[in-house]
Amino acid sequence: MKTQSFYTRRIHPIVVMALVSIACILVTATLHLTTLERVQTNEQFFVWRSVLDAAGVDHDGQPASVAALFEDGVSVQQDIYHVERPDGSLRYVRQIIGPGLWGPITVMVGFEDDLTTLSGVSIVSQNETPGLGARIEEAWFTGQFIGRQGPFRMVEEGTSEADDEMDAITGATRTSEAFRDIINRAVAESDSIARGQ
Amino acid sequence: MAPGMVKKTFLAPLGKDNPVFAQILGICSTLAVTNKLDNTVVMSLGVIFTLALSSWTISLLRKAIPSRIRMMVETMVIATYVIIVDIVLKAFYPDMWRQLGPYVGLIITNCIVMGRIEAFAMQNKPSLSLIDGFASGIGYAYVLLVIAFFRELLGTGTLFGFQILGSWWTGWAIMVMPPGGFFMLAIFMWIAREAFFKEGSNE
Repeated sequence: MKTQSFYTRRIHPIVVMALVSIACILVTATLHLTTLERVQTNEQFFVWRSVLDAAGVDHDGQPASVAALFEDGVSVQQDIYHVERPDGSLRYVRQIIGPGLWGPITVMVGFEDDLTTLSGVSIVSQNETPGLGARIEEAWFTGQFIGRQGPFRMVEEGTSEADDEMDAITGATRTSEAFRDIINRAVAESDSIARGQ
Repeated sequence: MAPGMVKKTFLAPLGKDNPVFAQILGICSTLAVTNKLDNTVVMSLGVIFTLALSSWTISLLRKAIPSRIRMMVETMVIATYVIIVDIVLKAFYPDMWRQLGPYVGLIITNCIVMGRIEAFAMQNKPSLSLIDGFASGIGYAYVLLVIAFFRELLGTGTLFGFQILGSWWTGWAIMVMPPGGFFMLAIFMWIAREAFFKEGSNE
């Protein structure tokens, strides 16, 4: 091995590594660029779907119809989505980001036109424990806020009765607390929507 | 290449040489993604794809790679395939991609991939390495699926998100949490090793 030339020892590895890197980068970059538009459409779709969910607008979950509904009934004014529902009533949806147990939770919170009653809550992104905290995405959990008025208190899963009580998720107390705080902050700040008008 | 060799290469990772319960590789992802079956299926497919193709690629290049930089080349090739999986999921299965979060990217650090390349693909022909990578992926996948089956069933009473056990069933929260993974993996290893390894022998 001592007879290896300078080229074999020093230059050749660099050349090989450079070639492999260029090949790998070409493959991944091409794939990234060809799917970029699709990925952006997907992200847009998630936001639109969340806004419609929070405003309580029925949709079939198909990208085309969600886009059509959004184009028809939603206008954005100072970061507040003004959603006109098919029956003519108006909903105000705002995005709010707060700390979860593992990472930020981004939520769309919808208000009826009295700006205190919630019309819906939907999760845009979260990073909670799968199967436990991630259950905040389940319909029974987000659905419990519809038609309620905050601020909310947390009670054991399945025991909420009063208007300001929310079911926590068993096994995910910290995530539930974090979520309660996010919703309560949205409720407390809801008058800013009125000021914005 | 002898036909017996192909069969042996394919069957070894399913039993005696199983990457999870015999070589104890890839434990981190085994614990992390097995609390729901659908996550597990996608993760397994990603690992099978990455393992088979990166074993094949490295085996093709094995004579051209200077041995002092082989690990860098291996990591680069593995990372490329993992990013392909990530981008495809992100573009075509965005809901699944959101659920799996960082786990897809972590396939890069799955020790099975690097382990099979170092132990097998560097010494064997591309076709045989492809089979070895694929079979190791299957060996990994079936262990994960069995563990995920019990964790999801006992933890939430569902399979693939569908309610299986009635409302009388109270989910064992611990099964969904990381400790449940440790318990199930240990039980699985115990049973599998009883089945595949005779008492007192090292084979």
